[in-house]
Amino acid sequence: MRLIALLLVSLALVGTLPSVTGQEVPRPAPGAPPDPFSDLTDTPIPPVTPTADPPLRSWRQKFFTENFGFRKEILSQFATSEHGQPSSRQSAGFEILKKFSTSTATFASINFQGRLVRRDGFQPVVNDMEGQSRPGWAFEYHNAYLDLYNIFNPMLSDEQRRASVGRFNLRAGRFYVPFGLNLQTDTHGTVLQLSNERNFGFERDWYSGFWGAINQHLNYDAYYLMGSGYDFKFKGQKGLVAARLSLSNKYNSEYGLEAGVSVLAGERLAHQSQKPMETKRAGLDGRYRRAIRTGSLTFTSELSGGSDVADTIFTQLYQSEYLTASRRWGVATQYRRFAQDHQQADASLIGEITWYLRNDVGNSNLHWLKLNVERRIARMHEQPSTIVTLQYYLYR
Amino acid sequence: MRSLILFAAVLATGQQAFGAIGCTLSNPAQDLKSLYPKMTTYKEELNEFPRLKDGAALFKALRERLGSDLDPIYETYETPYSVYTVFEGQTKIGIVHGVNVPGKGGVIQVFLSLDPVTAEIRNFFFQRLESPAARQLRTKEFRAQFEGLTLADLYKHDYYASTSPGAKADKIAAIKPPTLEASGRQDYDASLRGLRKNLILLDFFVYGRRFEPFFERAKQASGKAKAGKE
Repeated sequence: MRLIALLLVSLALVGTLPSVTGQEVPRPAPGAPPDPFSDLTDTPIPPVTPTADPPLRSWRQKFFTENFGFRKEILSQFATSEHGQPSSRQSAGFEILKKFSTSTATFASINFQGRLVRRDGFQPVVNDMEGQSRPGWAFEYHNAYLDLYNIFNPMLSDEQRRASVGRFNLRAGRFYVPFGLNLQTDTHGTVLQLSNERNFGFERDWYSGFWGAINQHLNYDAYYLMGSGYDFKFKGQKGLVAARLSLSNKYNSEYGLEAGVSVLAGERLAHQSQKPMETKRAGLDGRYRRAIRTGSLTFTSELSGGSDVADTIFTQLYQSEYLTASRRWGVATQYRRFAQDHQQADASLIGEITWYLRNDVGNSNLHWLKLNVERRIARMHEQPSTIVTLQYYLYR
Repeated sequence: MRSLILFAAVLATGQQAFGAIGCTLSNPAQDLKSLYPKMTTYKEELNEFPRLKDGAALFKALRERLGSDLDPIYETYETPYSVYTVFEGQTKIGIVHGVNVPGKGGVIQVFLSLDPVTAEIRNFFFQRLESPAARQLRTKEFRAQFEGLTLADLYKHDYYASTSPGAKADKIAAIKPPTLEASGRQDYDASLRGLRKNLILLDFFVYGRRFEPFFERAKQASGKAKAGKE
């Protein structure tokens, strides 16, 4: 009898005691199935202790497997104008991105883009102004730079590192001219371009300098540029110094807004004559992206003023884009104008439609067909004309 | 001629390389510092299925664990993923990772910061949110409800949702969505899907698939429950 009483008391207590694991086991509601996870815990599985030393890998294996990126690119472009003169630009290229890390920090990266290009005929399409000087076969490089992150870290204490995270990064090599939105825009494969190529005669240059965050609101870029554009050469020019202040990423994330002010001054090689030319510019730029019911709208503007030797320069660029939510279709229009004292202005109105077969958000997997029509409204040295361009692009 | 052959050979190499940029932080140092003010350094590691051991099987497993088809534009086999590990001195203090998911108006970039030991969510935030419901989804009150949750809670939710909806143990069901217009509901669902995808990928890349037992158990139990109903 005493045994039965003890058993009844035990059974009554079972429902109130915590489980043997020390965790509360929720009692299922009447009629509900039992908790199928009661014997599982979220505690971490202890890491597996290696039984043998990991195999040693050569520097070559490490280089090409750890944080190493390689992308292939095919670009096929045909253009013509109402005067005939069809042109063809066919290229196969690649891009390499490699990041270097210690056990606790990523401290450097390199980026290189190369293309083997075949050109027949020439039309001054906005993404191929350099092409006039490279008929036939040519191997071209585009990006070719090294970034060193937090370069003072080896000399700093942990406290100092904490205070300067992201503030002092060094870039050396060839990249977009740090003026306007080009630094934060990938125009490697697009037909539509921003202002710099027309403004300076090149959209990339060789340079070295610092970039980083000033505070949570502002980023900076400050460089010395060679001023030679494509070729790594000094032909008497002193070079350029350029600085840019831009809104930090949080404004883009939260409000879809990017903006900056840029200044640039010094000597560069003139595009046509390849002689040193004194250049001064100050610019203001902005881009605003807004989601709408069926996709997204983006508005871009770049304005700059200054001088080339004694001539006053004023440039304008306005662009509107619409991309469907599926990212399959996009349309864009751009107006650009470059005005110089004592000469007429170059001005164009451009319309473009794109069918995307692949349109990865991070630009890592792209595949499209573009039709671009540029009406060259005013020209300094030519008659107005219309250029029609058809482009096929694959990057993956 | 030799350079042309070399160039052709380089182009002919396999598809095993990672892309230039996946879903990365636009300004990692600045963004990570706002999440971890005590950080001193960070390390960025790139992951992609084609280069992982059994990558094809893992990619298939992602779809199964996600419970929905993968988007052919946003969620391809080749999509690269950047995982940021945050350090204070030599101590690992955080893991940060982002994913892209398609929303009603375009891309939604869902980022999570996790405890490196327990894999619990420390912070849930959006880098890019092209949505008519962006303001509501970004509210701190909504996002804070996910702090402390793990992938196990999502797998448990799958079970409870099919067997005993509203169970007290279901932490996901207890989350209160922000006040949304009907047009914003799709992006709310997309955001939760992005959060789930993010946690599954981190379980693959960082946490040694520690939450697999929860997935298996949920799958078994849900299967039994369904069979019982039939």
